[in-house]
Amino acid sequence: MAVTATNSDSPTSIFFKGETGRNTRGLLRLIILCTIAAAAVASRLFSVIRFESIIHEFDPWFNFRATKYLIQHGFYNFWDWFDDRTWHPLGRVTGGTLYPGLMVTSGAIYHFLRFLTLPVDIRNICVLLAPAFSGLTAFATYLLTSEMSDSPSAGLLAACFMGITPGYISRSVAGSYDNEAIAIFLLVFTFYLWIKAVKVGSVMWGGLTALFYGYMVSAWGGYVFITNLIPLHAFVLICMGRFSPRLYVSYTTWYALGTLASMQIPFVGFLPIRSSDHMSALGIFGLIQLVGFTEYIRAQLPSKQFQTLLRAMVLIVFGVAFGGLVLLTVSGTIAPWSGRFYSLWDTGYAKIHIPIIASVSEHQPTAWPAFFFDLNMLIWLFPAGVYMCFRNLRDEQVFVVIYAVLSSYFAGVMVRLMLTLTPIVCVAAAMALSQILDTFLVAEAPAEPSGDATKANGSASSNGSANIKDKLNSAIPESLRSTKAPLVGIYSYLSKSLTAGAVTAYLLLFVLHCTWVTSNAYSSPSVVLASRLPDGSQHIIDDYREAYYWLRQNTKQDAKVMSWWDYGYQIGGMADRPTLVDNNTWNNTHIATVGKAMSSREEVSYPIMRQHEVDYVLVVFGGLLGYSGDDINKFLWMVRIAEGIWPDEVKERDFFTARGEYRVDDEATPTMKNSLMYKMSYYNYNSLFPAGQAQDRVRGSKLPATGPELSTLEEAFTSENWIIRIYKVKDLDNLGRTHQEAGAFGKGNKRKKGGKRRGARVLRVD
Amino acid sequence: MKVLQALTALLPLGVFGAKKAATGDRFQTYHSKQLSAGGPVKIDDKIYAELTKGPRDYSITVLLTALEARFGCNLCNEFQPEWEMLGKQWAKGDRNAEGRLLFTTLDFLDGKNTFQSLQMQTAPVLLLFPPTTGPNAKPDGAPVRFDFSSGTNKAEPIHSWLSRQLPSIPHPQFVRPINFLKIGVAITAVLGFITFATVAAPYILPVIQNRNLWAAVSLIAVLLFTSGHMFNHIRKVPYVSGDGKGGVSYFAGGFQNQFGLETQIVAAMYGVLSFATISLALKVPRMADARTQQIAVFVWGGVILGMYSFLLSVFRIKNGGYPFWLPPF
Amino acid sequence: MRLFNWALVALTSLASADSNLTHESRNILPSTFKPAQHFRNVNLVRNINLEKSFPRETINVVIENIDNAPQQEYFLPFEQGSIGRVGGLEVKDKKEPERTGFVVDVVEVDPYSTTEYYKITLPTPLPSKQQLTLSITYYALSALTPLPAQIGQTDKQYVLHTFSAYAPSAYTTSKQKTKLKLPTVDVPDATTLPPELNAEGKEDPQKQGTSFTYGPYNELPAGAVQEVSVRYDFTKPLVHGKLLERDVEVSHWGNNVAFEERHWLTNRAATLKNHFSRVTYAQSAYYNPPSSALKELRFPLAVGSADPYFVDDIGNVSTSRFRSNMREANLELKPRYPIFGGWNYSFKVGWNSDLKEFLRRVKGASNTYVLKVPFFEGPKQAEGVEYERVVTRIILPEGAKNIKFSTTITLTSNTTSLHRTFMDTMGRTSLELTALNVVDEFRERDLVVTYEYPFSARFRKPLVIFGGLMAVFAVSWVLGNLDVSIGRKQKSV
Repeated sequence: MAVTATNSDSPTSIFFKGETGRNTRGLLRLIILCTIAAAAVASRLFSVIRFESIIHEFDPWFNFRATKYLIQHGFYNFWDWFDDRTWHPLGRVTGGTLYPGLMVTSGAIYHFLRFLTLPVDIRNICVLLAPAFSGLTAFATYLLTSEMSDSPSAGLLAACFMGITPGYISRSVAGSYDNEAIAIFLLVFTFYLWIKAVKVGSVMWGGLTALFYGYMVSAWGGYVFITNLIPLHAFVLICMGRFSPRLYVSYTTWYALGTLASMQIPFVGFLPIRSSDHMSALGIFGLIQLVGFTEYIRAQLPSKQFQTLLRAMVLIVFGVAFGGLVLLTVSGTIAPWSGRFYSLWDTGYAKIHIPIIASVSEHQPTAWPAFFFDLNMLIWLFPAGVYMCFRNLRDEQVFVVIYAVLSSYFAGVMVRLMLTLTPIVCVAAAMALSQILDTFLVAEAPAEPSGDATKANGSASSNGSANIKDKLNSAIPESLRSTKAPLVGIYSYLSKSLTAGAVTAYLLLFVLHCTWVTSNAYSSPSVVLASRLPDGSQHIIDDYREAYYWLRQNTKQDAKVMSWWDYGYQIGGMADRPTLVDNNTWNNTHIATVGKAMSSREEVSYPIMRQHEVDYVLVVFGGLLGYSGDDINKFLWMVRIAEGIWPDEVKERDFFTARGEYRVDDEATPTMKNSLMYKMSYYNYNSLFPAGQAQDRVRGSKLPATGPELSTLEEAFTSENWIIRIYKVKDLDNLGRTHQEAGAFGKGNKRKKGGKRRGARVLRVD
Repeated sequence: MKVLQALTALLPLGVFGAKKAATGDRFQTYHSKQLSAGGPVKIDDKIYAELTKGPRDYSITVLLTALEARFGCNLCNEFQPEWEMLGKQWAKGDRNAEGRLLFTTLDFLDGKNTFQSLQMQTAPVLLLFPPTTGPNAKPDGAPVRFDFSSGTNKAEPIHSWLSRQLPSIPHPQFVRPINFLKIGVAITAVLGFITFATVAAPYILPVIQNRNLWAAVSLIAVLLFTSGHMFNHIRKVPYVSGDGKGGVSYFAGGFQNQFGLETQIVAAMYGVLSFATISLALKVPRMADARTQQIAVFVWGGVILGMYSFLLSVFRIKNGGYPFWLPPF
Repeated sequence: MRLFNWALVALTSLASADSNLTHESRNILPSTFKPAQHFRNVNLVRNINLEKSFPRETINVVIENIDNAPQQEYFLPFEQGSIGRVGGLEVKDKKEPERTGFVVDVVEVDPYSTTEYYKITLPTPLPSKQQLTLSITYYALSALTPLPAQIGQTDKQYVLHTFSAYAPSAYTTSKQKTKLKLPTVDVPDATTLPPELNAEGKEDPQKQGTSFTYGPYNELPAGAVQEVSVRYDFTKPLVHGKLLERDVEVSHWGNNVAFEERHWLTNRAATLKNHFSRVTYAQSAYYNPPSSALKELRFPLAVGSADPYFVDDIGNVSTSRFRSNMREANLELKPRYPIFGGWNYSFKVGWNSDLKEFLRRVKGASNTYVLKVPFFEGPKQAEGVEYERVVTRIILPEGAKNIKFSTTITLTSNTTSLHRTFMDTMGRTSLELTALNVVDEFRERDLVVTYEYPFSARFRKPLVIFGGLMAVFAVSWVLGNLDVSIGRKQKSV
């Protein structure tokens, strides 16, 4: 509602109060913001224009499916949705284990359009949700930055940075229908509301903060970031001796209402009072009560000793409470840190304990090129901006500093958390840049300093709560060293024009960079691959959908498909068939079972598949096309995860040659060659080439002259470029023989099987 | 030094025992030895051969290791105390040897032949010889081998592994002894810190409350993190590596890897750039003299331009297809 | 001149419209019903054309009224199972083909009797002792069954067609023969009848080239049946449309007709013995031999059709080509995967066309329009496509009134309803027509719809939208001026 208030404010005043400077500026600002939003949306449409309006990658397919379920069966059925078409035979309590914010949002939009009788396909809503919200994010960034800085241009700069910076585009292009799509807007807007609340100290803003915090909780697991950042902000403010009724009011309002709101989400439930991730908020809530109490007492009886006593008491109580929390955590009453969250602090943790988390590419640490790639020049404007926050350190600027340091740590640890870093980078960079612009774009010579410049200078004692300021001023040097001298201004037009020109050039370069990165790196819907033909025309490789559609059309409605968990969501969404495991990796054992089936010999994996009623097995094989993201390259993770559960039956070491290489050619270890995955990938592959010429274009290695034999599976379908291969699990032999015997009998040589056995035994001794 | 004790205690016994064992029950002697030594028995080729030859009615674990500093096997030395601890506790655990499990250590120095016969390239290696006769005998007396490749150097995984391998025998609890020393140190440190803080508060407080300090700290932190320091920390990348022809290559090829030095250079570049920005934004307009100000603008503007273009050129090294650049570089 | 014809069509269409309605009312007859022997088939020649995936039978029969009163109703019997698969039955006078007025409908016999009848009502009663030459054509859907039912991926496919050597007849037939037209000479087996049945005592059937002849036969009683079957090489897909939904949306504002067809295809050909092997398929792709797999669909569209799309449940299918120029507009689709026997494929195609190609204003009446579109289009395949059920929906602009339609395709139902979309206030008038057992040879059959579209109806939507926006502005203005602060004055953002 704050939003509508602002942009309905300016035009109305234009229309009704006539033309005044303020209004023109307001109107301009509004127009600029709309243009920025438009640019933000437009720059995310590459994939739609190049390919089509299609859901990208993996997780979005689940969200899409869930959304369709929501609009078909209504809200309450969605809320307690038990999905028996995933995690066969366990099923998944989907309604209780997802963040419904995204689906509910697009469902609401869908129904609104239906109300206007606009027949918009739900898929298009889902595809375009992320760009639409990125426009809103730009606006929220504008609001946040305008709170931070006095310069009128900072907000607009921040908005357009936020609109086009790749760090945010990476997760919000059209079609990447993921929680982050709306979460980042909510993150920024919640922070804006929080800052507003702290400034104004009104219950309304606190309540709004809580409201949007609740929305955020319903939308993304990353809400924990807010849950910890706001308390930290409050804590630091208290430590700086900046406790104020405003802080008290806004924090308590936020915590009380926000926690209640967050507990309404089934997936979150009682976590806010039981898990360590949320304890800081609770602790600060307690602390702030104490501090408030003591402040009140102090105001009543102003005796020196008594105050020190009070302070001591506060410290002690806080310490005791903290110890209590720690004890509770140790004793297990409070759930310890959740794995993903914990792996942020103990960076080695995931690799050893939770291979699944470690196996996800977006949980890898970030190398510096990634930072530069996603933020370009903002990355070096960022520290400057942070520094300028120290100039006159108001509450909100303290927030910027904390946010900056914390999130840059997180972004360093996990690539995907670059997302939380991006907003603050935009804010800080905009503050720095606007400072320069305000200084150098002043027409008047510095005989009398222009209004903007003085504002930019903003002497420290002018604002912020006074009484605390005095205490500080006694202790610290007045302000930063760089801002001691009185502000004069820029004399020569030469330097003004030079700097302005240079900055403009950098900004243009930034735009170029963003466009380039977006179009090259972040705009391919990994479901459809594009390749260039010799004549330069685009050729679309659509194997995924080919195979999925085949499954959808030509198999039983309840045929169970076994594949590695990456493809679970896609199979559920596109092929509409039950899967054993999918990208919501809630059950490690089940995934390990699939991993074991994939990495063991047929004799071992066939019973597993029978037990799980598997009808079809799907593997991804890039060997023909040179498509590197295929299952053989992911194979080691399957092995590792399976080894985590059956250390004696699956051993990673057996898949490496004596020289410790991972090979698929003649040198490959017997275990490798006998593993189901290997067989399924290369089955029949030789016959595509002249004898002995079979070539794997990903691993760049020549394959054994004789291809693998499959006895318990039969090839059911292979897509045009062999990327997807689907195998049907044979029924039990009707003569009661094992399939090996049957196959051998069919071939007329019974030796084969014995040979295999021997090979296997050798392997076990090794 | 525990190891030393074990050695001194064992060297005579070893020979002696070897003789006796030939006549009597091998297991009893070595088990008693293990008890007396309070840890795994240190053996050599002869004893190894004797102990591992079938038929065995007991199971024996042999840790093949290379403790000598010159072999430079860190894992061996890290793991040795754990191994001692485990062996000791296990032996204590079933004093009267229902499990019939022996813990032995074979150092490379005493067991060259064994190492050769087993064609060991790496150490340490842990072998478990299950019994060939008796109730819980395995058909083939072939040793089971524990895989250290996962990089573990703790006793718990070994314990669980043994328990898995020999399910039917009693598994004594493995408890890590509490390190009182460490705790004591910690406590004293905390107390000391608190007292120091209270005493020195009046002097420290202004420093702590100094904005410039905090600004510096947070800037350094930000620069560190945004220049990929955590990546170095997690992936343990080399500080710098030589290119093929004797020189030093400061920048790792490829988008997904980097060197320690590289990140520091990048951090420095970011630092310079942002410092120039700051001075351009805050210092310059506060210069009273027009001329110096003019020069300052030129200088800082030039610095930004140069640095930024250099940064871009460096980035082009990392990412081949990157099309953008600025004049100087 | 042309316009005038259109007007004529428009006027006549009224009659045809309610003639459609009368067809709905069917007379139920007892199972013991036997058509009275008013007629006698003097001479009957029956042609069965097997060149496509559905047999096309043409019965040329000289009928004579042996009753002494003039008779008008001629009955044509079918086995109970088969009548559900018979489609497109049409009757003409062989002598003067342009003579119209032959009305055909199914006689509903209660389910216990084995035979059901088509009743053919002659335009004028046939006087006693008079003769008339009827030419009756119809198609039998899903009549061919592949034998063997499972073949290898590159094998030849043989299909079996079983029928009666004697033409179905409710009357005594003095003389008849049945001619078969086969697509090939490769006919492994065809039932041979004993010569003594044959009138000339020759061996039966007689083959010459790709055409077989059973008969001639002498006088046979009503309902005589002699089952025979031929098995011949037909290595082509048996494309069978389970359902075809077609939307035609008319927009006067946009001056545009939007067509959309939703197909549910299946291939009735022999299923694969082993599973699909990509290697074999890739290898056979070079020299491409006749195959029972459906690899491509070609839609010849009306000239001037534009911006076509080809999508299925999971998005756009990139393997389609559209060739459009002055003379032709061809849409060539390749399914995501080759459709082998027993496999299904469902998809959706659509395109736009200029309205003036299909719509005319009726001379005189200022706001009465005549719309003339193909009843359905669908792919045009060499081997033919058969549809179990075709549902065509004509969506007229909002406010269109008294709709009349006429088509030469026999319909089973027609309903008129409202369809709300794109900010309609009351919804658009939509006409839904259903036809059963249609084959792709009827692609060119037209559907003519006349309707009234009053001038005022055009301006409903703009006004509504304008009003809506005004309302939104007013509300936002009011909200903007509200002051929601509690207690002391508080500056809002």
